[in-house]
Formats: sequence, C-alpha cells, structure tokens
Amino acid sequence: MTPPTSTRGATRIAEAVGDAHVPRRRSRGLAGLIPWLFLSPFLVCFALFTLYPLVQSVVLSMQTTFGPGATRFVGVSNYRGLMQDPLFWTALRNTAVYTLGSLFIQLPLALGLALGLETPNLRGRGWVRLLLFSPSMVGVVFAAMMFSLIFEKQTGLANQGLRSLLSMVGVDWSLDFGWLQQHVMATLIIASLWMYVGFNMTFFSAALQNVRKDLIEASVVDGAGPIRRFWTVTVPAIRPVAGFVVLMSVIGSFQLFELPFIMFNNTAGPDNRAMTIVLYLFQNGFETGDLGYASAIGWALAVILVACAAVQRLTARGEEAAT
Amino acid sequence: MKDERDRTILPEWLPPGAAIVAGLALISTSVLLAGAARAPSREKAMWTFARPHYLMYEPRVKEWNASGHTPFDLRLLSLPAMERRMMASFLGDVPCADVLEVERRGVSRTFGGPLESVGFVDLTDTLKKEGLLEEINAPSFSPWTTRGRVFGLPHDVHPVMLGYRADLVEAAGIDVSKIETWEDFARVMKPLMADKNGDGEPDRFLLNMWETNQDHLEVLLLQAGGGFFDEHERPILDNPVNVRVLATIATWLAGPARIAADAPNFTAAGNKLKADGYVVASFFPDWMGDIWKHEIPSLGGKMKLMPLPAWDKGGRRTSVWGGTMLGIPKTAVQKPGDFDKLWEFCKALYISDQFMRDLYREGGIVTPVKKYWSDPIFDEPNAYFSGQPAGRLYINQAPNVPMRNSSPYNTFAMYRVVDALVKLTEEARQAKRYDMATLEARARVFLKEAQAQVESAIQRNVFMDQAGGGS
Repeated sequence: MTPPTSTRGATRIAEAVGDAHVPRRRSRGLAGLIPWLFLSPFLVCFALFTLYPLVQSVVLSMQTTFGPGATRFVGVSNYRGLMQDPLFWTALRNTAVYTLGSLFIQLPLALGLALGLETPNLRGRGWVRLLLFSPSMVGVVFAAMMFSLIFEKQTGLANQGLRSLLSMVGVDWSLDFGWLQQHVMATLIIASLWMYVGFNMTFFSAALQNVRKDLIEASVVDGAGPIRRFWTVTVPAIRPVAGFVVLMSVIGSFQLFELPFIMFNNTAGPDNRAMTIVLYLFQNGFETGDLGYASAIGWALAVILVACAAVQRLTARGEEAAT
Repeated sequence: MKDERDRTILPEWLPPGAAIVAGLALISTSVLLAGAARAPSREKAMWTFARPHYLMYEPRVKEWNASGHTPFDLRLLSLPAMERRMMASFLGDVPCADVLEVERRGVSRTFGGPLESVGFVDLTDTLKKEGLLEEINAPSFSPWTTRGRVFGLPHDVHPVMLGYRADLVEAAGIDVSKIETWEDFARVMKPLMADKNGDGEPDRFLLNMWETNQDHLEVLLLQAGGGFFDEHERPILDNPVNVRVLATIATWLAGPARIAADAPNFTAAGNKLKADGYVVASFFPDWMGDIWKHEIPSLGGKMKLMPLPAWDKGGRRTSVWGGTMLGIPKTAVQKPGDFDKLWEFCKALYISDQFMRDLYREGGIVTPVKKYWSDPIFDEPNAYFSGQPAGRLYINQAPNVPMRNSSPYNTFAMYRVVDALVKLTEEARQAKRYDMATLEARARVFLKEAQAQVESAIQRNVFMDQAGGGS
C-alpha cells in the first residue's frame, strides 16, 4: 500500500480507522493555511506595491503637498478645480480626437491589410507581414524623434517629398507648411498609424485564420457575394477579437504620452495641441510639483477608462444576446 | 529514473528548479547585505548636467582632491535625470548629491512649498557675511532667490546680444551702427530679404525666431521690461508691455512686414539653414558662441555681435537667456562642519580667477564676479566673431541684464504666453489683419486668458500665500 502523501489523506485514513492519535483539527488547520502560504508572496507584493499606492493616491488626490513637511488636506477641491480647468478639457478633447483617429482610421486599415493578406495564393505574405509588423518593434522614442524630423519645416522629408511630388502636377507646396505647428493631431495620428497598424493587423490576421471554412463554403454555395460574406460570416466570427483590439486601442490611446512628449520637445506643442491627459498629469506632478492635482487627473483618467471598458462589455453582451 | 535521482546531490524534497531559485535568492541577498555593510564613502558627490561644465570642472576637482581637502566625486547626469532625482530627493526627504549644479527652470520647481521646505540650504547670510552679495552681479542672483532668500551661488550672467552674418550684411553695404531699435533693424536690414531667385519668397529672413520658441519670446519680453511675474511673484502676464511685445512679434512672423523665420537651435536642420544664410541674425547669449563654433564651424569669421536693438530709443540693449547655480541640498548637511566643507568647495569652483578664465576660454561665458571683469582675457579677439572682443562686448551689457524671478509657476506661465502668441499669430494669418491696433487688442484678450489660467493654478497651491503669490 502506498503511504498517504498529504495531511488531508492522513486525516481521511484516521477518520476511517478511528485512530484517536491523529491530530484531526490541527491537521485541518495547517492544511487550510498551506494555500495562503503559497499565495502570501503575491499577496504581500500586491498589498505593498498595488493596493497601498492605490489607496495612497486617493488620499494624495485630496491634498496639496510639497514634500513630507508640507501637506494640507483640501478635500475634493482638486477634483473641483479639474472640472473648471480649461487645460484639462483641452487635454481630454485632444486625447479623445486621437482615440477616435486610432479607432476609425487605424483599426479599419489594420483589418483591411489583414483581409488583403488572407487572399489565397498570395506570394510573399510572410515578408509583407514582417514589414508591416516591424515598426511596432521600434521604440516609441525612436519613432517620435524620426517623425519630428520628417515633419520639420523647410528640411523635413514630408514637405520636401510633397514639394517634389506635387511639382509634377504643377502645384507649389510650401516648405513652410507647419506640420508640427498647425497640424499637430494629424502628425500624431500618422506616427501612431505607422507604429501600430501592423501590430493590430496581426490580431485581425489571427482571427481571420480561425473563421470556419465550412461556413464560408456554405455561404458561397448559398450564393453570397464577397461583401455579404464579409458582413454575415467574417465579421461575426472575428467580433470577440475586434472587441478586444478596440478596447486595447482605447486604453492605449488614452494613455498617450511619449509620442507627443518627444515629438514636441517635452512640451504640449503649440497652443497645447499635443496636450494629452497623461502629459497634463506629468506636467502638474513632475514639472509644477503639484502631486495632489496630478493624482486627481490620474483618477479622472481611471474613471474614463473604466467607463470605456464598461461600455465595451455592455455592447459585447448585447450583441451576444442578440445572436 | 531512480538512477538519475541517485546521481544528483539534491535531497529528494528539493526539486532542481526550486534549488536554482533559492540559490539566486541567497546570492542576491548576500550581495545586497555586503553592499549595505560596506563603510560609507568618504567622498562627497557633485552632480552637473552639462558636458562642457563637466569637462571644465574635472581637472579642478582632481586638483582639489589632490590638495588634501575632502575629496569630491564629480558626475555628469542628463538634465531631466538630474532634475527628477533632485525633486525626488527634496519631496521624499532622501539624500541625493552633496553639491548640485542646477539649471534655472529646475531650481524654480523646488520653490513651490513653504520656505522651510525648500530643499537647498539658505545661503543668504553666508553670502552677506562674505561680501559676495555685492561682489556678484545682482541680476545673477534673481533666479535663485525666493521670498528674499538666496539658495544658490550664481555661475553666470548670460547677457544676450544679436549674432549676425557679417559677411552678408557687409556685402550688402549695411551699417549696423545705424541700428538702435527693432524698427531700425527691420528697416536697415530689409534689403537682405530681396527675392533674387524670383520664386516669390524672400531669399532669407532677418531674424531667427518663431512663435513656438519660448526662449526667444522670454528674451524679448524681459528686454522690453515685461515678463511673467512681478517682484512679489504675482502673475502679470497681461501687462501692457507684454501686449505690445506680442503684437510686434506677430508682425515679424506674419503678413507684409514679416522678417522672421524658424531655424531651430541645436538641431542639424536648423544649423543647415543658418549655414545657408536662411536667417541673418540670431539671439546670442554668451554661451551660444561656443555651441555655434562646434556645430557650425563653417560660419567662423563670418559672424559678428551687436547689442540687441532696443524697443524704444535709449532702451535696454540686452536681455538674458539661461542660467546655472551651485546649491547645497539640506540632506547633505547632517553634522556641524558639513556645510563649511561643501561651501569651501563651491567657492573654490566658482569664485576663483582660474574658474573665470576656464569659463570664458572653454565656454565663452562671462563670470558674474564683477572684480574679474577688467581682466584682459575679455579683450582678446574672437576669431569666430570676425576678431571682435566678444567677452568685452558681453561685459559691457552685463550690468543691464534684466532681473528675473523664481516663481515655481514660471514655466507654466511661459507656456501660457507662448499659447497666446501662437493664437495671435495664427488668427492674424487667417484674418490677414496685421495692423498694430487690432493685434494689440487681440493680444490683450489672449494674455488675459493666460493670466486667468496661471492665477487659477496658483490658487490651487495653499502654500502660495507663503510663497509670495498674493501675499
């Protein structure tokens, strides 16, 4: 007979044979502690590095502080100030525009590229995928510096290239065209398009490869054309992945920071056109030193993101229920 | 299976993976404990943010260390890294370096709380006792002074002149001595903007300036007597001087009287434009010459300096751009005698004739210590500036450098004024209205918005009554 290998096993045997010498209660207590013992490293780290800072940041958002010797409780006045702060609303508007740009330009383009690459008998598919995916492996700082040079007036590749191209059709493109001055959001969206369209394309490619072939074949037999097939077979099949990509894009867009920070030389760009919520948080917390106000901005951002996630979940549930 | 187990040295209850993790944990813990147990270094640390400064100080620090004083370890950090570490140290009350060389905007951030929370040692009484308050050019103290107390030893004066392409100007037969005001500048230099290649655009512009460049804007505002805060650190963004300056700059940047174009500083693209003669003149603080010498050597012997044109006849012909100080963090002064050791080092580094020479020879920077201004080194001809005695030209302007303030909201206020200028210029371009009356009226509106934003930010700071704003 194999000897019992666990305390619980020993207890069961003791119960079966009625052995009074096996310490039943104590063993059960110890056995109950073991899972907690294994969980304790995570729980301690979670409490120390996640839970405590979270609670502390709520407290901080209700204070004005300057180092350990200078802290005053100000209640909700940081949040009240935020609601009346035109710069916060500018940041929110810019972030929302960037997010919409990401959703309505980047994701359809990513899906289009994925669909194009799923064309049967396409040669060089792997290379094209690698080419499109590779910008997402480049650091944001590098990409931001590159685009700030590309969009320079006079010497930038964008203006020089457009001048050369348009001169062929008799249009004189001004080298003084201020991409980084007057068209800030367009430059940010173009830069992020270059970086992330290939990344999102891979999610759609994976989803498209999992669309059931028998359903497609059945729809072909039933006489459905490519557009009808796309809307009635492909879209429902990739909807869960599309939902995930949308949510990740929204969260990533709302956390936009490095790209404008580097492209506009540590500023929010002319007339705050590159001001995003996280950039405004950074400016308040680490440039002005108002950590309380920065915490309030951080919590406002958290509320917005939770709301976006909730909307996405509700929409997904509604669609699931409808199907 | 049993044979394999027998070959290992591990007990049966210890799997190999767990043994590796435990081993690594043991090694890393031992290394940490050994590091903690090591005797604290006898060396003091000094941090600087500029490579030219680092290279200049390195031999001086070596000499200091060799002479039996408390040794110093000089370290070079990037400016943002140093400022973040400094702020983390001050806000968290943890040590950083013993002596910090800090740039102007970084220092004003440390003045956001009550006076007793400023992370630097108050040097006012020491400076008074040693006569340095009189010995050093007064405006050089202003960025390091809050609520009447001085927290840093000034490194420089940084007067601003106008550096211009003497080769182009002289070839066009223009006499710059006829230029006294900005109006004169635009009028006298105008022939240089001719469109000789017939593409409908001027071949070059007279001034390197753009609405998004906050440094250029600040130079002009301070020169005109405007600025962001008054001497009590109260915001004065919408003052009439700022209104006039913004409206005038808008006419320089847009419309029929346009004279300015953007050739960004410190970038390869900007340097190319400067070398090509796209702009005739640029703002030149004393430190800029050394940078151009290294970055645009092709302009050596083609440049000259002249005082800034004034806003009005008889007005100020200079301004100020940049600034550095040496400060002693409070966390570095733990026991009696610590401050004296650090202060001796600071003085040996900044207040010596050797330093004055190094500062000028290696960086083109004029010392703020007035007694050295008569030194013949400043009369030496400078080859980059076509043989002009650049040092003497800067020293002539040094006493007239405008005072600045050290409000923690300086950077915030500056960006708001830049926003106002951007809005004003764009509106003028769109509406094609460039008359001064309209521009001034609109500048007033945009500056009032900026003023309201700065006031609102200051009102959030419950320490600002003590910090000066509104008190």
